[in-house]
Amino acid sequence: MKPRLAPRLALHLMLGGGALVMVVPFFWMILTSLKSRADIAAYPPNLLPDEWVWSNYQAALDYAPFGTYFRNSLFIAIGHTVINLMLATMAGYALARVPFRGRTVVFMAVLAMMMIPTYTKIVPQYLIAKGMPFFGGNDYLGRGGYGWLDSWWVLIVPGALTPFAIFLFRQFYLSLPRELEEAARIDGMGEFGIFARVMTPLVKPAIATVALVTFEGSWNNFLWPLLVTTRDDLRVIQVGLAAFQLAERTEWSYLMAGSTLATVPMIVLFLFAQRYFVQGFATAGIK
Amino acid sequence: MMTETRRSRLRPLAAVLTAALLTTGCGGPAPSGDGDDGKVSGTVRLLTPIFEGADGKTVLEKQLADFKSKHPDVAVEVDYTTYAKLNEKLTTSIAGGRPYDVMLMGVGWIPPFAAKGALAELDENKQDLTKRYNERVVQPGIYQDKVYGLPIMLDTRFGIYRKDIFAQAGITAPPSNFTELREMARKLTVRDGSGKLTRAGVDILSNDLRQTFLPLMWANGGELFTPDGKPAFNSPQAVGALQLMTDIIRTDKSEDFGFTQPGATSLPLAQGRAAMMVGHNNHLLAIEEQAPELVKEDKIGFFMINNERPAMFQGGTLATVSAKSQHPAAAKALVRFLTDEQASLAANEQRGNVPALNGLADSDYVKSNKAAQFAMENLDAAFSEGGVPAWLEIRGDFKAAIEAALLGQKTPQQALDELAAKAQAAIAKG
Repeated sequence: MKPRLAPRLALHLMLGGGALVMVVPFFWMILTSLKSRADIAAYPPNLLPDEWVWSNYQAALDYAPFGTYFRNSLFIAIGHTVINLMLATMAGYALARVPFRGRTVVFMAVLAMMMIPTYTKIVPQYLIAKGMPFFGGNDYLGRGGYGWLDSWWVLIVPGALTPFAIFLFRQFYLSLPRELEEAARIDGMGEFGIFARVMTPLVKPAIATVALVTFEGSWNNFLWPLLVTTRDDLRVIQVGLAAFQLAERTEWSYLMAGSTLATVPMIVLFLFAQRYFVQGFATAGIK
Repeated sequence: MMTETRRSRLRPLAAVLTAALLTTGCGGPAPSGDGDDGKVSGTVRLLTPIFEGADGKTVLEKQLADFKSKHPDVAVEVDYTTYAKLNEKLTTSIAGGRPYDVMLMGVGWIPPFAAKGALAELDENKQDLTKRYNERVVQPGIYQDKVYGLPIMLDTRFGIYRKDIFAQAGITAPPSNFTELREMARKLTVRDGSGKLTRAGVDILSNDLRQTFLPLMWANGGELFTPDGKPAFNSPQAVGALQLMTDIIRTDKSEDFGFTQPGATSLPLAQGRAAMMVGHNNHLLAIEEQAPELVKEDKIGFFMINNERPAMFQGGTLATVSAKSQHPAAAKALVRFLTDEQASLAANEQRGNVPALNGLADSDYVKSNKAAQFAMENLDAAFSEGGVPAWLEIRGDFKAAIEAALLGQKTPQQALDELAAKAQAAIAKG
């Protein structure tokens, strides 16, 4: 064995072991989704199904309107991602590159928002959504109706812009050399042009990271969509998956089949964006 | 009823919701939108944690079609949820000023919501109800002598045992007191050569720990609260019940902590890895799915938990009306409909639960479901949890206290004393 091969081999063994630990739950989920109820209950558990029950997928899809849930989740996740990218890049750029009075205070406020526990915001957000003027039968003071409740507005607008994204973009814009900005300005480019055409194309890792994190957070959002909607046609995939967990028992095979289907978009997205994603987190020093 | 999943993460939300509820939940009933001609009308919003999945939805929609034929001017909008998230749905909607007209909720939930003025009194009295229901079934729907909820179905917990395993060990009848329970459990426990547990003599871990402890406590003569609403679950009888659980795990080693857990994919009793258990009536369905021959060959038996008195845990689902419903008469009509024989039988059949109405004891469904039959025959010994407005805050702390005793971190007396002190603080806070 060559002397330099040993450390490389050790590294690969370690990384391979880590990868295996990460991948096993996914394989277990997929295998469980193909088992019969009796097979799932077998003790000791079998790795492979005795009988490959592909019909679990159809049964899971029949259990609830998953087509609608899937479409809704996709629409909301894409909506959140696009809005977050558009607004957070501008906010992050302003906080990093545009000097204005109170910039530090605004940045501190953004950081403070990251520290507010999600659950403490739910009732105030619910009340704000319910009291939205001119929507859902409300008058100009937000009275008389239900505002945004049970609508796409309430699913998309709250949470569409995240302080984390603003923070991340600010950190990236800060790391870009000032000379680029000045050169563009000397060439006569306007401030928005500098932001959109010079600086933002250089923060692709941040864009990929924010896109992936936003999409993932939105895709997995459960409590808010559950609380603010009452109709099946507005429900999302995570709410659908929760239906498999009954009070006294869980439909494991259907839950795993549904979870497998729900995981696919995230995996596909990660495969496309993984290079930028890793780079984004490495540069921002976040994990 | 609510599973413990995500419970700890949701505690801050529960605190905020409770505070919000306190500030907005009070107030008199809203003006009725019902007609003066005796006909009820309006759109009624129903929140249900039962009727889950496509099957449940089909059952409810069929029932609602019947309701519609009787009340053509009432439209019902249904919001389906699960018990795991019912508390959040209820409290957010009430705190947000958009309560559901009809709310289905669990046993133990009436005092918390009624005390905050969120529920409307139903036009029923206890004496009349006890003609249709067992008195013990009626009680969870009553708060301060007023009826706020009518039961649709019951979730019961009692002893379940394997007749074949008992027979192999020469035991002819299930235990009739705690001493026999421990002795039989020791005898029926099997470990392999390495000491690994292969069969638990008694499984006290497959059921929710609080809901295992409580029937043992009641069987030992204990109570959850005193008549004036103070914690009583650290009485000598309650400590004795937790001591029994601790002895089973730590002294007799009839089951190992971590051997199984509620919601595990396989039920030890069905696999022959437990000889008896404290279980839910729905566990019969799990056994039918996992080992159907056990049910077909009549190898599953049931017994009341017994020591000072026989006891069975009684949970369930009750139908209530919001105090702020815009259509209270229509909402009450829907409650009456959902709790009548036809609709409640359909709901129980769909879920494999125990009907609440006495009249359903002779139904084909109950006759075909031995667990439901056993539960209905023993309703005189049924006990319900709850009873104080702070119950939804208190109940979540039981698990940690019981676990601390089972793990030997605290004595049963210490664990329950600390729990009682915590509960007293929650009650005092209001």
